[in-house]
Amino acid sequence: MSAPRLPPALGVVAAGLALALVPALKLPAFYETFLYLVFFWVSLATSWNILSGYAGYFSFGHAAFFGAGVYTTATLATALDVPFLWTLPAAGLVAALLGSGIAAVVFRVHGVRGELFGLLTLALNTKIDGGPGVFLAAVPIPTLFGAPATTLYHLSLAVAVLSAVAALAIYRSRWGMGLFAIRDDEDVAEVLGVPTYRYKLVAFGLSCFIAGLIGGIHAMFVTYVTVAETFSVGLAVDAIMMAALGGTRFWYGPALGAVIVTSLTQSLTGGESAILNRALIGAILIVVIVFLPDGVAGGLRRRRRRAAVSPGRAAPAARVEMPREPARPQPAAPVLACTDVKKAFRGLQALAGVTLEVRAGEILGLIGPNGSGKSTLINVVSGYYRSDGGRIALEGRDIARLRAHRIAGLGLARTYQIPRSFRRLSVVDNVALAAMFGGRGLGRETGRGLARSWLAFTGLEAKADALPDELNLLERKFLDLARALASEPRLVLLDEVLSGLTLTQMTDALALVRKIRDRGTTVIFVEHIMRAVLDLADRVVVLSYGQVIAEGLPRHVMRDPGVVRAYLGKAYA
Amino acid sequence: MLEIEHLEVAHGDAVAVWDVSLKVRPRELVTVVGPNGAGKTTLIDAIAGLLPIRAGTVRLDGSDLAPVPAHEVCRHGIALVPEGRRLFPAMTVEENLEIGCYARPARKLRSQSLERVYATFPILRERRRQLAGSLSGGQQQMVAIGRALMACPRLLLLDEPSLGLAPQIVDQVFEVVAGIHAEGVAVLLVEQNIVQAFAIAARAYVLEQGRIVAEGAPSEVAQDPRIREAYLGQSG
Repeated sequence: MSAPRLPPALGVVAAGLALALVPALKLPAFYETFLYLVFFWVSLATSWNILSGYAGYFSFGHAAFFGAGVYTTATLATALDVPFLWTLPAAGLVAALLGSGIAAVVFRVHGVRGELFGLLTLALNTKIDGGPGVFLAAVPIPTLFGAPATTLYHLSLAVAVLSAVAALAIYRSRWGMGLFAIRDDEDVAEVLGVPTYRYKLVAFGLSCFIAGLIGGIHAMFVTYVTVAETFSVGLAVDAIMMAALGGTRFWYGPALGAVIVTSLTQSLTGGESAILNRALIGAILIVVIVFLPDGVAGGLRRRRRRAAVSPGRAAPAARVEMPREPARPQPAAPVLACTDVKKAFRGLQALAGVTLEVRAGEILGLIGPNGSGKSTLINVVSGYYRSDGGRIALEGRDIARLRAHRIAGLGLARTYQIPRSFRRLSVVDNVALAAMFGGRGLGRETGRGLARSWLAFTGLEAKADALPDELNLLERKFLDLARALASEPRLVLLDEVLSGLTLTQMTDALALVRKIRDRGTTVIFVEHIMRAVLDLADRVVVLSYGQVIAEGLPRHVMRDPGVVRAYLGKAYA
Repeated sequence: MLEIEHLEVAHGDAVAVWDVSLKVRPRELVTVVGPNGAGKTTLIDAIAGLLPIRAGTVRLDGSDLAPVPAHEVCRHGIALVPEGRRLFPAMTVEENLEIGCYARPARKLRSQSLERVYATFPILRERRRQLAGSLSGGQQQMVAIGRALMACPRLLLLDEPSLGLAPQIVDQVFEVVAGIHAEGVAVLLVEQNIVQAFAIAARAYVLEQGRIVAEGAPSEVAQDPRIREAYLGQSG
């Protein structure tokens, strides 16, 4: 990596321009057709990857959106005599509308994730008509630079370049980072301020638009459109295979996979051994997936990293100074006020009317026996659950009905008992994501710079480029904390920071919590280790059976007969 | 019959149980109490073979349980009632119970065991065709205990049977546990609820932050200031 590198977007466009000149070489028609197929698959695999690879929602229904494009062009061009080129934007839009419509419904249903989403998209592949098919041979194709076939060549090349540039732009953007976070842990992403619903919807829409566009072109390429050919599951499976082979984590992965598979198919199939060769491609795919879980692109990157491990590392983003201590709010106004908050699960009243106040700048310990409702309260306040009743005000503003990412934007952050890092983002990107989506909404580079400052604050600076799995438990907990802090919250909720730590690690963790409060951030922490609670909390609130049974100074509260009874039973009170 | 020595168990790199030694004799009811997060569930899951043992030994009647896979532990006469019941909510009550005698030796006694469970919990006979997920919390706890009994265990592991139940229902559950013990089954009861657990146990251990800090007869342990310390962080 010594020579200054061409920006990848320019590279893609330059390659596109070079390929656009290929027909001028007057090669045999075979080459043009072959390259057309390459562009076709590059577009399909890349568009599939924008939703399914980036955000992790595996769709098997890509053929449905492709097919919507095919049939839009076929119908407009034959039945309504619309000129071919005009049908293409329509093909893209119809597919995008269909996709967004379905997504708008599907993404609202909380349980539809992972396999369920895949199955649902499979159901989309219904055959819309059983008719005899549509002939397009009579539809005129405008000639731009040569024969009609050359026009299709150029059009598909344009879509392939468009999809690659779109994939790259998303990969580099704030939006792309949000999609990667959704893939790793959607709930956490939402809590950090990523508008998950909107992001998925737009990604799905764009993915479908490109599929529809290439579908419209392909209708003219095949000239005879049948339902069975168009809406085959095999089409989606091929696109998925190419993306997986190339690497779904990389913007260029699917394109790489498409080139490899199309070339192999072209050179190996044909003749009597077609099926055998198809099996050979399958075998290659299995080998690649087993040995290169991140695809060919992942394998290449790993080698490059190893080669450039010590001196040639790209300079880290410049550190951006942390903001000064946040201005303390008026002490009179509580940071958080819960009034009669209720939440029930299938008849179990987890919160039976909780009323409590958190004052600016304090460390509030939230304690109570197992099952007393502490975690539920944290989940309700941070917006993961919606309360059944009552008022929750963050600095005077009612947040009880807001979605988690909106609450995060208003200045609330949390950590988890078992740290939930984004496994495939580097440590610094984990934190940068919070800086980008929480609070001020920074760009990616500024976010990274700020993230480095927070890593320094939590003592993780040296691990900035590691992946979360390479950290030990204490470091992962601190990463969770750094991530919560990077969104510059007014209030942080810490869920059992100390659990699982050794005694020395606990001392470090406690010191860090104090340091956070000293910066002016208000802290609520749920903890079972009572000595730590006594040590750290300015005030404690005790929950039992979903109600507040005591609050006040730690040492007083722990002697309260009601509290002793809740923990130890009547005999001790 | 159950002997645990210097047991250490971790979740990934988070050690939850350090150097725990305890014993359950045949037909004995032993309780392990401790506050939230003390490592009680980790301990019981390790005995049931659900978590790997990092160090130390777990022996049943002298034979080491460490190499026995979880689904075979029940064949050795140990049955677990997990925390939070963990029923199969979309199956009927009776189907849930039948899963309990899935292992071959217990399967032969299926109808007898079912009769016995229904005799212990008459309400479950009434509800046998109902989906387990539609029962109340207390009834679900009965199904969970019944399911464990279907395996005809010699040792019953109970993980916080009182969790999430109303106080009157908690009383009923403890009566049932005492009844099962009276029939000759050894019980290891892990609980947060000290008073109830001590009322029925012959011996008690106090677990705090993954270590045993006190043990003995419940009446003595109850007076131990370390209980107060473990739960409330101070003894005064």
